[in-house]
Amino acid sequence: MFRSILPRAAPKSVLQSVRGAQTSFRASNIYFQDRLRRGYASEAEEKDLVIIGGGVAGYVAAIKAGQAGLKVACIEKRGTLGGTCLNVGCIPSKSLLNNSHLYHTILHDTKHRGIDVGDVKLNLATLMKAKETSVSGLTKGIEFLFKKNGVEYIKGTGAFVDEHTVAVNLIEGGETSVKAKNIFIATGSEATPFPGLTIDEKKVITSTGAIALQQVPKKMVVIGGGIIGLEMGSVWSRLGAEVTVVEYLGQIGGPGMDAEISKMIQKMLTKQGMKFKLNTKVMSGDDSGETVKISTEAAKGGKEETLDADVVLVAIGRRPYTSGLGLENIGLETDDKGRLVIDQEYRTKIPHIRVIGDVTFGPMLAHKAEEEGVAAVEFLTKGYGHVNYGAIPSVMYTHPEVAWVGQNEQELKAAGVKYKAGSFPFSANSRAKTNLDTEGIVKFLSDAETDRILGVHIVGPNAGEMIAEATLALEYGASSEDVARTSHAHPTLSEAFKEAAMATYDKAIHY
Amino acid sequence: MASIASACRLSARVASRQVRNQYGSTRAFHPAPATLAAQNFNMPALSPTMTEGNIATWRVKEGDSFAAGDVLLEIETDKAQMDVEAQDDGILAKIIQGDGSKAVQVGSRIAVMAEPGDDISSLEIAPEERSAPKQEAAKEHQSKQDTPTPANEEKAAISEFKTPPPSTASSKGKAQKQKYPLYPSVQHLLRENGLPKEEADKIPATGPNGRLLKGDVLAYLGRIQASYTAEQQKRIAKLTHLDLSNIKVAAPKTESEEKKLVKAPESQPAVPEPETEVAVPISFKAVQECQKRIQQSLGVFLPVSTFIARATELANEDLPKSRVAKPTADELFNAVLGLDKMKKYTRGQFIPQVTALPPTSLRATKPSTMKKPDIFDLLAGKKAVSPKPSPVSGAAGAAGSINVFSVSVPKGDEKRAQLFLKRMKMALEAEPGRLVV
Repeated sequence: MFRSILPRAAPKSVLQSVRGAQTSFRASNIYFQDRLRRGYASEAEEKDLVIIGGGVAGYVAAIKAGQAGLKVACIEKRGTLGGTCLNVGCIPSKSLLNNSHLYHTILHDTKHRGIDVGDVKLNLATLMKAKETSVSGLTKGIEFLFKKNGVEYIKGTGAFVDEHTVAVNLIEGGETSVKAKNIFIATGSEATPFPGLTIDEKKVITSTGAIALQQVPKKMVVIGGGIIGLEMGSVWSRLGAEVTVVEYLGQIGGPGMDAEISKMIQKMLTKQGMKFKLNTKVMSGDDSGETVKISTEAAKGGKEETLDADVVLVAIGRRPYTSGLGLENIGLETDDKGRLVIDQEYRTKIPHIRVIGDVTFGPMLAHKAEEEGVAAVEFLTKGYGHVNYGAIPSVMYTHPEVAWVGQNEQELKAAGVKYKAGSFPFSANSRAKTNLDTEGIVKFLSDAETDRILGVHIVGPNAGEMIAEATLALEYGASSEDVARTSHAHPTLSEAFKEAAMATYDKAIHY
Repeated sequence: MASIASACRLSARVASRQVRNQYGSTRAFHPAPATLAAQNFNMPALSPTMTEGNIATWRVKEGDSFAAGDVLLEIETDKAQMDVEAQDDGILAKIIQGDGSKAVQVGSRIAVMAEPGDDISSLEIAPEERSAPKQEAAKEHQSKQDTPTPANEEKAAISEFKTPPPSTASSKGKAQKQKYPLYPSVQHLLRENGLPKEEADKIPATGPNGRLLKGDVLAYLGRIQASYTAEQQKRIAKLTHLDLSNIKVAAPKTESEEKKLVKAPESQPAVPEPETEVAVPISFKAVQECQKRIQQSLGVFLPVSTFIARATELANEDLPKSRVAKPTADELFNAVLGLDKMKKYTRGQFIPQVTALPPTSLRATKPSTMKKPDIFDLLAGKKAVSPKPSPVSGAAGAAGSINVFSVSVPKGDEKRAQLFLKRMKMALEAEPGRLVV
């Protein structure tokens, strides 16, 4: 109303007098001009594809679509691309894991290798800086790829207006809206909060805060012994914190990890100084004081205990993130865990809206999201896409690393499949011996009848890299004999992989 | 024989794809291929080097229907004579190149097929996808086929995958030509058992994309149950898909639930946040002068409330962040990333209360710009609003030239409020005309 009668430019004298009176106060006419400008949210032409979310699923899909020649826009509200993984997840945590491992090695291990190091001091600020450099380099890289592949990058929060229109509340102020023939939802997930504890990312933290603590806490309690909890727990344990992991289940590493492997890694981490309380339920937490008090109880009832910690890491899992997306405006439904309901081609009940990544079904893994991003675009452009959910590897980047792909022994037993297991310890591997890093094993599970590989589970140095070979074998339906008859370079850790395959269908040579 | 036929199928598909790409038919945005009732059946390439062949005999007559796997015709090349099998059920609508046709180019139309159940008499015969195969195109074609590029193979693999969901026959595993190097275990087993390499093409394969696995050979040799490999294939195929069975769709929030959610916070006795009041005296002298000027020049009377409303809106813009407001998850995320510099300012929600004072009370209010809340009011849970503000209405309410503007804020937020009031004061005292012009 009255805004429209305002002059666009103010007389100079007025401007000066206002500025002179109060510097932090913007001249009023500028403010009103701002508002005027916002009124003119331009409606651009219709896109072929709009992706809500610039995380791994979203940005990969955007680039793939750009390469396929679609007119594509990607909406991201964080101001940086890459989502949880790149900004506060996989990438920064790996920087911390690697550098804290180096520190830990120099502190405890190099002496035995004949390297005497003088005073070793931790400079946490620089350690964090190194992490930030890696992250910012990678996120900028994605922005470059967007430009290269003609992806329009809209910085703001998207919400559905109708089935073809997304309104965007821009970060820089103002609003706009985009229309599209196809829309992908790739809004990802957030850490599930623990009821009763308020997350402030200082005393009560999620994985997000765990990569940015300002100082090494004396005592840290990790609620949840899954992959995130163990990785972040081991970072701070290496840097000097006394870490206690509280897990409700009877094993660490989550339900996907093979039980035998889980026990092994638990022993190794215990040796490194972490403490574990399995089969233990966290009843409540109190974060009002200087420290946080966590009261626990044995899962099967009984024994109560109170733990005291400077920092509590809540790592009980992640949940799909859809708030503010305006799903109610288009009538999309979620399941009881908040996941958006889809079919095998990632379509919702509105066929031109597809959902990929953490916000829908399947494991919450960046590489799974990436595969889905590509597949969903291919469904759109080619009518066929491919993600083999039976061959998606999982890796835990502790030291030693744990990695697996396919099914584990518990699952095979439950499915009633007869299988053969063969394993090979790194202690019998020449390269591991020379590296003085001999903890762990490679374990194959193959069908008892056909010898087809059903699962591979590794705990040991560089397990995360080695699992790629197992994934390839699984993808091609190989038998353990196929792997065993393939040449592996000597001396490498991968020989352990080959020998484990030999042990599965026949006998290992070196064990 | 069957294996050769399947190889033909494959290469025929490759060929047709190439042709389509070559002739630049733009791919439709929506992927489903348009299914014509009648489809052209082109001369298949039976080997990578084949460019032309002779049609010996048609085993199926015009108008006859056939099932997948039936032999449709026999083709002769300079090297051999081979059967061509049907891929799908259908009807042979029309034969274009009859028995004994010589030197038929690969990819040229030799017949028209219809879907089972189609009425052939009324069927429109689709035009050939391309006019008579030009020699050049064929040559180019050949050179392409001579060196099967990876892309070619990939396409072949994809098209293989595209075939409709495996019927019972294919789920048992079909024998087919093994184009890829045999797996080491397979090679070993064949040798061990004195089977020639060609035997591999006869073994039903259950691996991904029809690859022959160790288990298939074991089953072929009778070392394990023949049905086991197919069962295993089925089980593993299931694992390759997302398990979307048993989805429990979250029930839409019923009204009663929503009410509960809303009520929950209410039912808790809300602990009144201690609030402080911040007040600033502001003179309306300039505003009144401005009013007069506007009335004189434009003949319009603008009430003081208009000035106040606009000044409020202006002063609320971009206030420094409230200290008491709890950071949201997003803000914490940004803080961790060091991105929070962008959003230091937020829009305020202040609505000032204006108290008109008689001019005499001027001295009393002036010394304290910030009024401390009365402890009794605090304890009583009463909002610390000093003298009841008389709502401003037009010029009458603001007769006195000095008025006290006040806002109540939670403790810790006084600075934000003070800045807001300072801006109000400036807007109203310095240049009120700019608010309405």
